Amino acid sequence: MATDAKTLELRELVNKQYRYIDRKWDAVFWITAIFVVGAAADITKQLFAGDWDFWTDWKDRQWWPIVTPFAIIIIGSALQYIQWLAWRFPTGMTYTAVGLFLCTFVGRWVQWGAFVYYPMNFVWPATMVAAAIFADWVLLKTKSFILTSVIGAILFSVTWWISNYIPLAPYLQPAHWMDRIVTVADVQGIEYIHSQTPEYLRIVEHGSLRTFLGETQYVSLVFGATVAIAGYWIGQFIGRGLAIWPIGRFIKRW
Amino acid sequence: MRRRHRRLLGAVLLAGALVVSISPAAQAHGEKSQEAFLRMTSVGWVDVKFSQDHVKQGETFTIAGTAKILDAWPSGLAKGAPNTGFISVIAPGPVVMVKERTINGVSAPDRIDVHKGGIYEFSLTVAGRRAGTWHVHPSFSVKGAGTLLGPGMWITVEKNPAGYSNPITLDNGKTINLENYQLPFTWIWLLITFVIGVAWMIYWTVPKRTVTNLAVTSQIPLNTDGMEYGLITKRDHRNMNWFAIGTALLLVVGWLYQAAAFPTKMPQQVIQFAPPQPAIASAPQFAKASNATATYDRGSKTFTMNVDVTNSGKTAMTLKEFTTTNLNFVPGTPGPLDRQMQVAPTTTVDPGATTKLTLTTHDSVWQDEHLLTVGSSQLEVTGILVFDDADGASNLAEVQAIMQPQFK
Repeated sequence: MATDAKTLELRELVNKQYRYIDRKWDAVFWITAIFVVGAAADITKQLFAGDWDFWTDWKDRQWWPIVTPFAIIIIGSALQYIQWLAWRFPTGMTYTAVGLFLCTFVGRWVQWGAFVYYPMNFVWPATMVAAAIFADWVLLKTKSFILTSVIGAILFSVTWWISNYIPLAPYLQPAHWMDRIVTVADVQGIEYIHSQTPEYLRIVEHGSLRTFLGETQYVSLVFGATVAIAGYWIGQFIGRGLAIWPIGRFIKRW
Repeated sequence: MRRRHRRLLGAVLLAGALVVSISPAAQAHGEKSQEAFLRMTSVGWVDVKFSQDHVKQGETFTIAGTAKILDAWPSGLAKGAPNTGFISVIAPGPVVMVKERTINGVSAPDRIDVHKGGIYEFSLTVAGRRAGTWHVHPSFSVKGAGTLLGPGMWITVEKNPAGYSNPITLDNGKTINLENYQLPFTWIWLLITFVIGVAWMIYWTVPKRTVTNLAVTSQIPLNTDGMEYGLITKRDHRNMNWFAIGTALLLVVGWLYQAAAFPTKMPQQVIQFAPPQPAIASAPQFAKASNATATYDRGSKTFTMNVDVTNSGKTAMTLKEFTTTNLNFVPGTPGPLDRQMQVAPTTTVDPGATTKLTLTTHDSVWQDEHLLTVGSSQLEVTGILVFDDADGASNLAEVQAIMQPQFK
């Protein structure tokens, strides 16, 4: 009976009408926070995987699937924890993805296009949205952060690669250029000069005798998924240790 | 209060407009901030020429010359043993484009193997892209060190009335415009995924309340979806399944499309090789410079270098130029990228003779380029003396002079 009473009480709370807390507060929160979240995700991405996201000739099959999912899952994971804990919404990763896209879209258009004239087909940003949808969906289905970190992060990495390989495909076509066959992305990287970023700084696949039957891409995807699990838990630490726990301490104290 | 806010906003906007309108455009490339002795001891530039200073958008011009990684290369850069280099163009962004690059006679799209003392005859075919007047330099980047600039020139790119495009030929024979190739496809794809994300967010945030859920979620365990309280419903689960299925279908369709539309793909290429030796590198060495000292008088802006020059060749040799960093000094009438110097007693050295030459320049460029700072940890002037013999053969003789600055 006690459990039923509690359940009824919580059901009432879900639908309770508050005099001073109306939907405006919801709108204020979601709209203002998205810029902060998007900027946090963008900064994290730029710290760990900036050049891979900036240039098509960096978007390779060895390093890109490893560093970028790791970088972008961190803030998404933190938000996933916060939004699930506070409101029981499986939205943290998608919210981060939408905010990140807005920030990078505006950044590329204004800073890279309007200010320094790079063609946008050379500097388009990767999308995280499809990957985020699957990570949030896994959380909704499993209701477990441990399972989401394993299944969700792996699914996140793989779907991130698929969703970004599709727009990259045209730039991986071979072209005749400077007496050689190179990709369209390579031509973009050399023709559109980027001062103070000499070509040898580009970290892309160079080949290795240790490569598994030459299938670099699959090895990278597996390793990238593993690294993304680690990134997911870094995000969980940020969400739990740097956001929720200090707020809880503050509220208890005051 | 509102009036005050309006005034404040107006003042901020005015201040911003003033800052933007009176700030000069940045035109340099940061080379002056590099330490003078490191710039002078790393890469020497000889006989750099720009084919023209006016082009239309899409038209090309060439920057050609010789770059040498000096034997005096400092031990503190690239561990004293440079091994990878990249010769390119420095400009204010992609206002010009590199269309072809040859080094020692062969095409070199990417990086090259380099070594101390290596000589690289380069030719860069550069196309105008964005209308305007731009300062353009050849550059030599060395892994582990940084980017060194050669002599620069103002290039005016005029708007092309016929329109501008950047065609390249794909392996399948199709010609594409690199300026906007597949841009609509890229943006449409990215926007579709964005719309799905926005739809997911709208589903959860518009019909459902957010902030007030905390009153319930703070009382229930983390590993529950709160279905018994109405936080997440079976309908939500069902709809989210459809979202996931829809997203998966989109990825499948996208994958099939790219596989059909762009069937031939390959990974990005990394091209690195050792370019062949140029003729000048294997030519007999007849010129040698030694025992050099230099002074600079700030008052008269006079730079003087005394150097012993030995001609071990069989014919007389003539001093053609003295080059250091991005500066070229020539006796006689200077070209567009050159500056004048006086040479005493003569520019010619007889075969078998050793002559003390005195090179003098009256030029503020040494100060303007921050090349003679007494605060440097190595007070030296390093460069290349270029000599031609009577048969037309050239020699590059490195000179490293002990700098004796005047502190007053």
